[in-house]
Amino acid sequence: MTLYNTIYPFAAIVGQEQLKLALILNAVNPAIGGVLIRGEKGTAKSTTVRALASLLPMIKVNKGCAWSCNPEDPDSLCDDCGKLSEGREKSEHGIIKEGAIGATCIERRTRVVTLPLNATEDRVAGGIDFSLAVKSGARALQPGLLARAHRGILYVDEVNLLDDHIVDIILDASAFRENRIEREGISFSHGSDFILVGTMNPEEGELRPQLLDRFGLCVEVTSEKDLERRILLMQRKEDHDADPQGFFKQYQADNDLLSHRIKRAGDLLKEVGFSDSLRSFVATLCAENNVAGHRADLVIEQAAKALAAYHGKTEAGMDEVTQVAGFALVHRKREAAPPPPPEPPHDHEEKPEENQKQDKKEEQEQPPPEPHENAGPEDEQKPGQNENSMEEETEEQESSGEAPESEPESQGENQEQDRKNVLEKIFEVGETFKVKKFTSPKDRIMRRGSGKRSRSRTAAKQGRYVRSSIPRGSHDIAFDATLRAAAPFQIQRKNGSDLAVILKEHDIREKIREKRIGNFLLFLVDASASMGARGRMAASKGAVMSLLLDAYQKRDKVAMVTFRKEEAFVNLPPTSSVELAGKLLEEMPVGGKTPLSSGLVKGFELLRNHLIREPEARPIAIIITDGRGNVSLKSDAPGNAALGNGGIKKQRPFKEALSLAEKMAFEDRIQFVVVDSESRGAVSFGLAAKLAVNLNAEYLKIEDLKVNQLVDIAKGVLP
Amino acid sequence: MKKKTVYPFMAIEGQEEMKLALILNIINPSLSGVLIRGEKGTAKSTAVRALARILPEIEKVKDCPFQHDPKGKHEVCTECVRTECRNRVLGIDDNQGPEIVMEGIRVIELPVGATEDRVVGTMDMEQALKKGEKQVEPGILASAHRGILYVDEVNLLDDHVVDVLLDSAAMGVNTIEREGISFSHPARFTLVGTMNPEEGELRPQLLDRFGLCVNVLGISDPHARVAIMERRTHFDEDPEGFASLWEEESRQLVEQIKQAKKLYPKVTCQKNRLYEIASYCLDVGVDGHRGDIIILKTAKTLAAYEGRTEVESKDIEKAATLALPHRVRRQPLQDIVTDVSMMRNQNKAAS
Repeated sequence: MTLYNTIYPFAAIVGQEQLKLALILNAVNPAIGGVLIRGEKGTAKSTTVRALASLLPMIKVNKGCAWSCNPEDPDSLCDDCGKLSEGREKSEHGIIKEGAIGATCIERRTRVVTLPLNATEDRVAGGIDFSLAVKSGARALQPGLLARAHRGILYVDEVNLLDDHIVDIILDASAFRENRIEREGISFSHGSDFILVGTMNPEEGELRPQLLDRFGLCVEVTSEKDLERRILLMQRKEDHDADPQGFFKQYQADNDLLSHRIKRAGDLLKEVGFSDSLRSFVATLCAENNVAGHRADLVIEQAAKALAAYHGKTEAGMDEVTQVAGFALVHRKREAAPPPPPEPPHDHEEKPEENQKQDKKEEQEQPPPEPHENAGPEDEQKPGQNENSMEEETEEQESSGEAPESEPESQGENQEQDRKNVLEKIFEVGETFKVKKFTSPKDRIMRRGSGKRSRSRTAAKQGRYVRSSIPRGSHDIAFDATLRAAAPFQIQRKNGSDLAVILKEHDIREKIREKRIGNFLLFLVDASASMGARGRMAASKGAVMSLLLDAYQKRDKVAMVTFRKEEAFVNLPPTSSVELAGKLLEEMPVGGKTPLSSGLVKGFELLRNHLIREPEARPIAIIITDGRGNVSLKSDAPGNAALGNGGIKKQRPFKEALSLAEKMAFEDRIQFVVVDSESRGAVSFGLAAKLAVNLNAEYLKIEDLKVNQLVDIAKGVLP
Repeated sequence: MKKKTVYPFMAIEGQEEMKLALILNIINPSLSGVLIRGEKGTAKSTAVRALARILPEIEKVKDCPFQHDPKGKHEVCTECVRTECRNRVLGIDDNQGPEIVMEGIRVIELPVGATEDRVVGTMDMEQALKKGEKQVEPGILASAHRGILYVDEVNLLDDHVVDVLLDSAAMGVNTIEREGISFSHPARFTLVGTMNPEEGELRPQLLDRFGLCVNVLGISDPHARVAIMERRTHFDEDPEGFASLWEEESRQLVEQIKQAKKLYPKVTCQKNRLYEIASYCLDVGVDGHRGDIIILKTAKTLAAYEGRTEVESKDIEKAATLALPHRVRRQPLQDIVTDVSMMRNQNKAAS
């Protein structure tokens, strides 16, 4: 393609040996099934993939065939090519003009087809050819990207940002190696066997596990740390920018050599053997890594064969297997079993033996094993270190005798007064971890907003146009779909009009747009003295911080209310600046009594105001407390009226909180989650649990928030 | 239509870093843009809008919707609606070649509420209805080719629009695969964004697409503040009169930019300077290699701007403060670093 004539030559890329190897292996053996390239920005991810295009081997196709059929495989031919081989010349389908198909085979380079993020369904899968339909009235298919990518590479930049909906189509096609189209009056299927190559920056969110598994190999790329190589890289880039064509010529010879080697390896591949003993070794390797499914085994075998062929060998050996195993396992590996709750996760100690056998270089470049489910980099934040700081905190607390009494309601007033100033202190943020998923249920309410947490249909003519439907009253006309619907009838309808297309009302189609909306998360944090004990605050802060990190990735709006001493404060009004929330959390002082009721009231007020402005919002309120409320509402507290609480007599603090909670539960647009910070094992009061029952809330211990602990509780509790 | 007078670029008081970053981007478009972060009312938008007046002219095919350079053939043209210039560019009609015009580089504004189809381009309805043909109606990315794409409040941009921006900003090609259209066209633009960090941060991937990043602060010097007020009132009362006061200075700047553009290819950077750049990035801790590359380019541009043909140490120092703030590796919730050289010294002291 001349558009990319300024392409950077593959041979000139500095470093990234792992990435280059993984791509070459795929070029040699398409059965490997693709590469996922994960890495920070600016590490030549996209550049390398685009550069690969010029190295790919040639394939044979029938001239004029839109579906890239393999002429040497009669069973897989499309209708047109099939008829051709039966000696019939003319295609009834109308896609290929008469005579355009010769019996001639031509060779062309394997394609790299780019799937842009803005793609709509009709272009990915294929849809009716509009102009042809208008002119001839024939319902012919305009091949989509999946057709173009058949026997080639389908490349998605920023694959983690791809719409779920397009992902579904790709998954479907790659599972059957066939794309079936049943839409717009067309029923058709064609081969769609492609190598999926994706790049992603994990900072922007993770991939769906199902899609992750489709990628045969996975490579993590990082930037070059060596000074010399960094300089080499800069120089080459400057040379390339100054004279792209000249630069390409300079590396032409190297590139050709590589291309030739790939071609030869591809030819040799059929002869490469794989012994049974090696197979059982692969099987054990996979079992030891707790890999889900059998794809890893198959991929390792194919990749090892490809590597052997690339080195000109006819037998794959141990060396090959160990070299490629890392690629196939890194994204499929799972943790053995959920570690017992109170201990920090020990990702780092759990290195299976086999992995250590791999050569050292690889070991260094492989990231630590990751939990299978969408784990990001943040759960690797030195749990050891945090643990230490937590322990120190605890010791300090205990030795100075500042742990509060275990009877929450019997604390004397004056005693409190004395301690108030002493106890106020700022705790460090405890261990952070990957939190499990909270989403609000998907429904048919149309919303506005942006973010990534919950999927929602949107009505505001914004969001990604994903597909079309017959009108439902949104007046958001899907022009292309309307035309396609009308196209086949134009020949009959045309009578003297100078318009090429005459639309009838029943042709109208509307757009269905979809976008993920961010939720509104309210953090209601108990900052009273009782939370300060035994590192509870550090742990709670850790929990909130983890939730915030999650909110950051999903682009939620957050707000924070803390309650301590006599009343509750809105520390952070609703904002999308999660950074600000993080900073406030770090600086949050702790100490004083627990005005649980006023905390609840304040939080509820905030939520209610938010709901007035955005009635369709479905906020989630996360309450972090040990439930030991010991301050009642002031009788003139402004929030009282909101809950119809004006006339209620002064109650005992905790009872009051419970009855407030019961009333708040009536607002079913708000979803409550109570996170109990009471440490396990200590004398337990279960007060937070009672609160949760009255709020009709999901009840969690801090440990339960971690993603690997329990299989998605959300599924059970949230409808 | 008479153009509304804009506040002259040269009349902006202070904010030297921001002005410098913008000028560098004009001299060398491959710096790929600047992100301006700052509080409200710090002349962010004024500066970008004022740019239009000091931009140099480039050669263009007349009326080309894709802003083509008249040199070279363009694949895109075969599918372009405008048959007139298409035939000329492709040499179908005769060998006249396309009509060439000199036009100032454009500043295209991407409104925060823009829809995806307007940004990337979509099917041309008129063509479809009248002739029954599929034609592309170019979007904002096509108009911004070889120009400046300006996004005010870039952090408020809808996620899906950001996604398509990322796509084309990365490779300089916009690929349309939607609504029955399958089409690619070049889209190399200088991305200029302004934002107020209080409203939320940018996504890391988009952040990296901006070559440079400057933090602007309100000016605290009372004299300067008075000067700002005086100039602003003068401008509001008599825009044209005010603009004419600054004409001479603007003209000088345009001339300087022109010279720098010519000089840029001749600027060289010695090997030991490259070491300086690489070790700077390693010291500070930067993700990826774009930091190195941008520093080198910025330093070369700076040298050209000052009329030199050799990169000096101070250029690198300055370039680093512009190119690195948003690239320093940080924890997800950390703030963007404002002072890079300070950070470097800290890191050095620590190690």
